[in-house]
Amino acid sequence: MRKDSSILGRFDWPLFVAYIFLLIIGIATVYSVTFDPENPSIFSFSEKYGKQMMWVGISLFLGFLVFLIDSDIYRKFAVPIYLFTLALLVIVLFMPPVNGARAWLGIGSMGIQPAEFAKIGTAIFLARYLDRANLQHQKIKTVIIANLIILIPMVLILLQPDAGTFVVFTAFLFVIYREGISYDPLILPIVNSLPIKGLRFKKTWLGTHFIPILFVVVFLSVVTLLFSDQTFYLELLNLEVGGYWGVLFFIGVVAFIAYLFMRMIFPKRERKKASIIALLVFVLSGGLTAIVNVGFQKLKPHQKERIELVLGLREDPDGDDYNRNRAMAAVGSGGFLGKGYRNASVSSVRTNHVPESETDFIFCPFAEEWGFVGSFVLISIYMFIMFRVLMIAERQRSKFNRVYAYSAAMILFYHFGINIGMNIEFAPVIGIPLPFMSYGGSSMMSFSMMLFILLKLDSQRKEVLR
Amino acid sequence: MKNDSRKYVFWAIFGMTGFLYIMKLFYMQVIDDKWKLRAQEIAEKRREILPPRAIVFDRKGKKIIRNKTYYNLMMIEKDIEDLDTNAFAELIAWTKEEVRSRFREIRENEGYYYNPHTGKTTSNYQKIRAYPFIKELPAEEMVKIAPRLHDFPGFFKEETSMRTYPYRCGANVFGYLSEVTREEIEKDPFYKPGSLIGRSGIERFYEKYFRGQKGIKYIITSALNNVVRPFENGKYDTMAVQYPPVTLGLDIELQEYGEKLLQNKRGCIVAIEPKTGEILALVSSPSYDPNVLVGNKNIRKNYPKLLSNPDKPLFPRPLASQYMPGSTFKLLQSLIGLQEGVIDVNTGFPCNKSIVGCHSHPSATNISDAVKMSCNPYFYAVTRRIIQQKKKKDVFEDAAMGLKKWAKYMNSFGLGIRLGVDIPGVRPGLIPTPEYYDKWYGHLKWKFSTIRSISIGQGEVQLTPIQLANIAAIIANKGWYYIPHFAKSFGKKGPLKEYRIKHRTMVDEKHFYPVIEGMRRVVYEPGGTARRARVKGITVCGKTGTVENYEGKLKLKNHSVFIAFAPMENPKIAISVFVENAGGGGGTWAAPIASLMIEKYLKRKVEDKVKEKRILDAVLLNKYK
Repeated sequence: MRKDSSILGRFDWPLFVAYIFLLIIGIATVYSVTFDPENPSIFSFSEKYGKQMMWVGISLFLGFLVFLIDSDIYRKFAVPIYLFTLALLVIVLFMPPVNGARAWLGIGSMGIQPAEFAKIGTAIFLARYLDRANLQHQKIKTVIIANLIILIPMVLILLQPDAGTFVVFTAFLFVIYREGISYDPLILPIVNSLPIKGLRFKKTWLGTHFIPILFVVVFLSVVTLLFSDQTFYLELLNLEVGGYWGVLFFIGVVAFIAYLFMRMIFPKRERKKASIIALLVFVLSGGLTAIVNVGFQKLKPHQKERIELVLGLREDPDGDDYNRNRAMAAVGSGGFLGKGYRNASVSSVRTNHVPESETDFIFCPFAEEWGFVGSFVLISIYMFIMFRVLMIAERQRSKFNRVYAYSAAMILFYHFGINIGMNIEFAPVIGIPLPFMSYGGSSMMSFSMMLFILLKLDSQRKEVLR
Repeated sequence: MKNDSRKYVFWAIFGMTGFLYIMKLFYMQVIDDKWKLRAQEIAEKRREILPPRAIVFDRKGKKIIRNKTYYNLMMIEKDIEDLDTNAFAELIAWTKEEVRSRFREIRENEGYYYNPHTGKTTSNYQKIRAYPFIKELPAEEMVKIAPRLHDFPGFFKEETSMRTYPYRCGANVFGYLSEVTREEIEKDPFYKPGSLIGRSGIERFYEKYFRGQKGIKYIITSALNNVVRPFENGKYDTMAVQYPPVTLGLDIELQEYGEKLLQNKRGCIVAIEPKTGEILALVSSPSYDPNVLVGNKNIRKNYPKLLSNPDKPLFPRPLASQYMPGSTFKLLQSLIGLQEGVIDVNTGFPCNKSIVGCHSHPSATNISDAVKMSCNPYFYAVTRRIIQQKKKKDVFEDAAMGLKKWAKYMNSFGLGIRLGVDIPGVRPGLIPTPEYYDKWYGHLKWKFSTIRSISIGQGEVQLTPIQLANIAAIIANKGWYYIPHFAKSFGKKGPLKEYRIKHRTMVDEKHFYPVIEGMRRVVYEPGGTARRARVKGITVCGKTGTVENYEGKLKLKNHSVFIAFAPMENPKIAISVFVENAGGGGGTWAAPIASLMIEKYLKRKVEDKVKEKRILDAVLLNKYK
């Protein structure tokens, strides 16, 4: 084992440079959006750009501290770190609510949001857990603990409530998938208990690829929601049916076609299996859509509206879809080259057509001012960062590092995907910040720390023997 | 590791997302225009700025139509905080109840919008919008309110410009302005709700000039509809341009004097400068102070009153009131007779009262005598010769042919046709044609004796005072005229081209001299009908008219008519005066009024105070005998 001579070690400069680019773009955009001619200096701490400068400074300082500390500390203190973040998530529930959510710890603008830091704590502890030498991928204990590590902070966050961060935590499920944790221990007992003779599995495709399948299911649910309020006319039966039954009917048709297809390619003795799979697909999909359908009807009206808006079931540019409509107008009116720096007419804070245009909707003014060219560059930088993190993840020798890197990659992806997606009708309007750009101390510090811990782990990757 | 291949799932998800996002952004930002339009709807507004209307000067350079700054007290409900209704009512000198009901009124005036999709009806009123709480406050009143306005957040002042008429006269010339209707906005994009448009007078005729050039500002507005900054630093903005000052041929002092002379009388005066056709004064009585129809509030209060006044102050008599011309018409019969050669200068006719009545006077032995004495039988004879020239065997056909020619002559004098004066409401009067009588009596069923009353300006003949004044101008010019008009110059440009065309009558210059001599004798010779028209030091030529008129079968007092021009040698003013139901003859009331006007115009002051007092004191409103 050879200690690297400097604290930087094998520092990943490309990732760091991309990060700095985003910081600069972010501050420039916050400056443009919240510019107040009375305090034109970017260092005016009474203005948001001044504060953002301060947060960036603090974040870089935290990064520096991270590099002073040996990366081994995270592995060693994974449990206390995780418990500490959980404690913060509990404490925050006793704080006075701000805008209807108990998300803030501390006073006023100097407060922090523990949920942002809980991502790091969870990532570290999940990495620590999956890093165990004797981890048994097929044991029920493994899958349950791995999921609990994610689920506990999720529940606490939902209690605040902070739906956005709650959704972001599902990013960790992909990490579990990447590490090959099988959901079979949970699924096999159910499948094998079906009263069908001779049906005994040791391994299911569902359990192996549970998470991707889960997301396919989510997709299916969305389709169900899309059609749940419509009616279908079945020509064959000369029957008009409600939307849900229509969806079920089509799932049945798909399952039947799948069955016929499988009959053709499967050997004779496995035809029974084919029919069971087809039946399972039908029953499970049908059950799922039924749950979705019933659940949707029981949602609170504003939640229902949000979902309807996302799915395009509603169009009400001045009412419920106000934010998105304004945001899309801002982004879309940017044109090819944009309106020019500090020329955003729709999304500037002074015009205030797009609320939160310096925080959650910061992509708006950026896209409005820099147009498609700017958007392309920005998305490219994010894509570069995410691919770079994936690459870093794959070059790690230790599982701990890899899991942590995958967590970071997925969290960045979620934030990027949802935040920008909500400006372009690809994601629901969920209030989560755009990493390294949105105004706000907690997100700036937590994302920076997450990245710097990754950089530190990466710089010391050769020191790890295992 | 056996799970290594799973990394491709991540690469695929990331890659797909990035690709899809870039595609969608390319579509939204570069291809689809929908969002650019939406952004314009939301934040990039076009504000139109109307310049103040053109200011107007009279021929002596006096400012006769100005713009005055008024203030609207605006209100944005959303910004109002704990309004102290008592204090506010006291500030604007209203009652508390008035303030409350004004709020209700504003809301209700906005109307309601029915959404056919949702079936909901919502008010168009918006709390974030600025509405005028009090419109058109004069500066004097705003000064009282403004200093304490900051105590009432949500209220602020806004400047507007309105007309003001310092001379308080000329209402029928200037006309008035009022807010555009929805149809007018649809027809002409220049206007927007609340813009003012000329409704009558020259304000209406020259609307497209006076209104100037609209400016357009592109601005960025906030979600609260406040102006944030100019769009692209005002790159696309255009300035509002006020129309250059307009000068009228009007002499405002003469106009003012004329209105004073006609006080307590119904009637009108039209004075024209013969050489240019510029209208010096156009008086309609009774009239009103044009300032009473400035602004919504005033219009609402005063317009109905003016409209219901039985003496019709809103009716522009000089342009639209069609009177029988009476004896003034004899001038034209002489001129046509001379031109047609049916009489000559020295033709005489006996004063034969058996056909038409006449007053006592010696028989006229020449044309100027006849004019001077206004001999009815003489002009009966002249007109008979004009109409029945015996060129056709059939007396009826002959009359039709003669009348046709006669009407053509009249048209060349601007009678029976609509004179294109630069003001709306001008009527053509009536010069009967053969077709006209055919309709009454049937084709070839009439001859001169049937229609003889036209020879002395009674019967079917009708003309407007401005036409009559134009006749005076034509005689002064000896045979030509410019269409009477008000606007003399627009900035550096002269009058419109239709007022630069010389119109010639069908009568040669030489025939005017004997008639003009007759008109001089009307005023200056014993036995003339208009001794009261004399002006010291100036030779006035005139002709009286006395017009009989009836209400049903009841004979009313005569109209007193006079036309004149002066000075005889170098005519500077041509004038017609009508005094309705004045009683007496043309010489009694109309002639002295004309002479006072002439004196006022040519000498700038009136020396004959006795004559002036007689007119000013006269009340001639009773039309019954």
